Amino acid sequence: MRPTLLTLALVAAAGTLSAQDFPTRPPAPMPVKAAQFPPFQEATLPNGLRLLVVENHKLPVISVQLAFPAGGTYDPNGKVGMADMVAGLLTKGAGKRTADEFSAAIEGIGGSISASADPDFMTIGANFLTADAEFGMGLMADAALHSSFAATEVELSRTQTLSALQLEQSQPEAIAARFFAKGLYGAHPYGRRPDPASVKAITQADLTAFQATRLRPSGALLVFAGDISLAKAKALATSAFAGWTGTAPATVAVTLPPARTATEILLVHRAGSVQSNILVGNLTWGPDDPRVYGARLANQVLGGGGDSRLFLILREQKGWTYGAYSGFTRYKGTGYFQASAEVRTDVTDSSLVELLNQVKRIGSETIATKEFEDAKSSLVGRFPLQVETSAQVAGQVTTARLLGLPGDYVQTYRQKLAAVTPAIARAAAKDGIKRDAALIVVVGDGGKIYEKLRAIAPVKIISVDGEPMTPSDFAVKALDVNAGALVARTDSFAVMLQGNAIGSQVARFEKVAGGWKYTETTAIAMAGLQQTTTLTFSDALEMQELHQTGMQGGQASKIDVIYAGGRAKGSATTPTQTGPKTIAVDAEMPKGAIDDNAIQPLIGTMKWAAGAKIPVAAFQGGKGTLTQFTFTVSGEEKVKVAAGEFDTWKVDLSGGEAPITMWVTKVNPRVVKIVPAGAPISLELVK
Amino acid sequence: MRRFTAALAAVLLIAASNALAQDPARIKIDAYTLPNGLRVQLVEDHSSQVVAVDLWYDVGARNEVAGRTGFAHLFEHMMFQGSKNLKKVEHSQLLERAGSSDANASTQYDITYYYATVPSNRLNLALWLEAERMRGLNVTAEGLKNQVDAVKEERRLRVDNQPYSRAIWEGTLAAFDAKSCFGYSHSLIGSMADLEAAKVEDVQSFFKTYYAPNNAVLTLVGDLNPAEAKQLIAEYFGGIPRQPTPPAVTCDQPFNPGALRQELKDDKATLPAVLALYRIPATSHADGPALDLLATILGQGESSRLNKVLARETKAALGTTVLVNPFGPRRGPGMFFGLAIANQGVTADSVEKLLVKEITQVAQTGVSAAELTKARNQYRAGKINERQRSLALAEAVQFANTYLGGPEAVNTDLDRYARVTVDDIRRVAATYLRSDNALTITIVPEKK
Repeated sequence: MRPTLLTLALVAAAGTLSAQDFPTRPPAPMPVKAAQFPPFQEATLPNGLRLLVVENHKLPVISVQLAFPAGGTYDPNGKVGMADMVAGLLTKGAGKRTADEFSAAIEGIGGSISASADPDFMTIGANFLTADAEFGMGLMADAALHSSFAATEVELSRTQTLSALQLEQSQPEAIAARFFAKGLYGAHPYGRRPDPASVKAITQADLTAFQATRLRPSGALLVFAGDISLAKAKALATSAFAGWTGTAPATVAVTLPPARTATEILLVHRAGSVQSNILVGNLTWGPDDPRVYGARLANQVLGGGGDSRLFLILREQKGWTYGAYSGFTRYKGTGYFQASAEVRTDVTDSSLVELLNQVKRIGSETIATKEFEDAKSSLVGRFPLQVETSAQVAGQVTTARLLGLPGDYVQTYRQKLAAVTPAIARAAAKDGIKRDAALIVVVGDGGKIYEKLRAIAPVKIISVDGEPMTPSDFAVKALDVNAGALVARTDSFAVMLQGNAIGSQVARFEKVAGGWKYTETTAIAMAGLQQTTTLTFSDALEMQELHQTGMQGGQASKIDVIYAGGRAKGSATTPTQTGPKTIAVDAEMPKGAIDDNAIQPLIGTMKWAAGAKIPVAAFQGGKGTLTQFTFTVSGEEKVKVAAGEFDTWKVDLSGGEAPITMWVTKVNPRVVKIVPAGAPISLELVK
Repeated sequence: MRRFTAALAAVLLIAASNALAQDPARIKIDAYTLPNGLRVQLVEDHSSQVVAVDLWYDVGARNEVAGRTGFAHLFEHMMFQGSKNLKKVEHSQLLERAGSSDANASTQYDITYYYATVPSNRLNLALWLEAERMRGLNVTAEGLKNQVDAVKEERRLRVDNQPYSRAIWEGTLAAFDAKSCFGYSHSLIGSMADLEAAKVEDVQSFFKTYYAPNNAVLTLVGDLNPAEAKQLIAEYFGGIPRQPTPPAVTCDQPFNPGALRQELKDDKATLPAVLALYRIPATSHADGPALDLLATILGQGESSRLNKVLARETKAALGTTVLVNPFGPRRGPGMFFGLAIANQGVTADSVEKLLVKEITQVAQTGVSAAELTKARNQYRAGKINERQRSLALAEAVQFANTYLGGPEAVNTDLDRYARVTVDDIRRVAATYLRSDNALTITIVPEKK
């Protein structure tokens, strides 16, 4: 083939260039172009609705966000969680469509729509093709103005929220976050979190009223990004929201707690915890504070990622944790700084001391040039990737407008970041990261870490439920059994999933020479679970032995523990993500402590009454640790299962990996139903 | 750990289609070839200040020969282990410090690709890094052993330790003839014995043959100045020598050779399952879009046919899905399969009857216009949404070039889907989804 002129030219060019040596080190950055933030337009409709349009006709797709000042801050006292519930329900039936019809409508055009709430704002987001804009906006307007809040959907949402809250009680990071927010903000709305009582108090009328009073055009921001012009956006909004009027929703008065003057530790006692979750932080400033740029850089060096000091020291050097990070959270009002680490119990104090050293150092020592430049280059370099699509651009502008940032914030952000010097970063860190006036929350086993923490700062102790505690409460409380109440019996349970039986459990108590023997066989084929448990007890119901064999997800498990002479000894092989893991078991057993598999069998020997709290010290063979469980009678209910209808105590068991609710008959106590929080399955008595 | 293949992320639950989308706004592509054979495709787009760098090597499991399986994927690992001027972690660290967060790689049957999105003033860094490793790797016996171990671990996690996974990764291969079509008839992750036997010289020779400029296509999309980009490409890649053209791959796989059956014991599964596989033509074939849309109608999402009939109405199945080429698009014959996991107490046999009936009856009764419209809308919207990112557009251009005959096909790909009619759906079902073209795999739980 004859070479064309073009190829000849290229050969010539390439020849010249390739004659140079290949550079042996990476090239220096090319010049940064003038930071051009993509253009956008703004307008206000006659009804007060603010409009923002980021035009980009590259593809026939539009993304829309509609934001309201309707976040959790506006939940009435006693009904915290309302904004979250409203957001979840906006798209669960609206206009003339049921929840199913609504999701079918948006899926049918290949689009998506959903809503969420944060402490300050509620936002409905949607995506659809340009050709479906009228239809998509119709759905969005229905969600914003005409949600059905159908009773069945409200109750479903409430049940899901309650399960999630119950589950949170067993998750140390969620427990830590809850007490940290409360400790920082006190009675300020940013410090509140939903609880079961507040979620139960929310009525359908409350939800409707919240939508009517807070989802108003005035004060709201409607943002279009993509294949649309300002004129088209105006026309779409005017037609979809025709007739929508109303004054701006009321603001609420808020007060911050008095500034902290000394560092204090809040220890949340979680008996048997093998790790400690540490949060360290303080309140900072409003979103428009000029120190945010310097603070951003300082934080990148301190704990912004895998290349930062906290991670490199606590994880890479010391091996105390999988991760340690820090960050600033920005709100419409005052935000906060937080550094966090999740560490092994035995290195809790060393980790906290090191974390505090680093927190202090970032505000007192100027960052070395190379470290500073690497952090800056990562942050500045990242920005273009954060505004690549029109929806991302719209997101940045929306945040800036909602938070009330200066008009040119998005356009000047990158230059202002680039202009930060090590001295500016240090000064901002000094003001925004307060080693000597910090709140420290540690969720962990008080019995093992309290004394060591006291050497670092004054310690206040509370339970996972927020009740004040003293060190004398750390001793595990053993179960007080009524051995005389036990009778030989066989119970059969069905494992239920959405009304279908998917497995079974047979539990048998029998009298044997010198004591009792309990055998339990469980099979759930779908989950790949098969398990046989045998427990033996003395006549006085002291634990003697546990033997358990099973299969779970294709992996075999086997636990054998002998309880004698105040110790638990044996071995445990349990499934993990990377295959079965075997540990040797040898631990101290306080008097009255039982195997965790014995909790359910011994229910008949416990002293049940309205409002009773029954402590159970139980050994978890699979982990080799002793854990404090607590039964709390939370109500009385009639329960109907295959075996019949029973008058029961509703009982919550906390302390384990996930909380469990059980229903225990009032007469001759036995379990008739068991529901693990957050899982769609239950165990129900068949006979 | 590197991505094994983009399409298999959620193997049983999410079906990924392979054809990438087309954009109604015409995409202008500047395509040229360096004297050493490196093909380059540039798309200038100044709507953001980023550039995606996407380098495709024309090598994958299909290029492997007996006794050397698993090399293509092993290589993807080796490419992050350092080169002449770079230590082991530097590649990723330099990109992260430049602000990039998506740098990665993936291996399929037909190709292996490497990518990163960077701020546009760091295009030089991303290009230098790719050129640096195309120039040569640091292959030591120790480094090789490390990566063979890493692949073994990956195999254990993804294939051996997941229920039903072996049926998909390996069971499905029986549809392809091991003699006339070795490339598609062996496992992507390869034989552990082959990998263990790999010597440093084997790896070097594989690298020399396939990681050559004349066997690669470099695509850049985003905020670039073409003259500047071309100069950087010439400077960094121009001096890498061309290598002899790699041996051609052939696959002479007949359709409709007669029904095949297989029973697989699975010690990770606790419920029986059935996989009904049908051979389909190469990704470039005109019937591809109709097959993709049919897969959506049959097996993707809550309201798909299989889910409605097998899971909700008859409760015979716990879950169902339909996948087309889960290990990436192909220049040779591919696979279309339905998978149903039986509910407790339901036999594999009865699930198989329901599954096969739902799939094969399309040939007689077709699909409704409403079903087709919904599938088309979802497909189209999904692809268009995806292309807002430079990297996804770069992959679409690469896809068009490798599978649809040239980069310009990126501008017409989606039209192929818009033109599919209900008659087309019925016709492709009749052509391919027939019993004498099927491989049926029954997966039987086995206790250890």
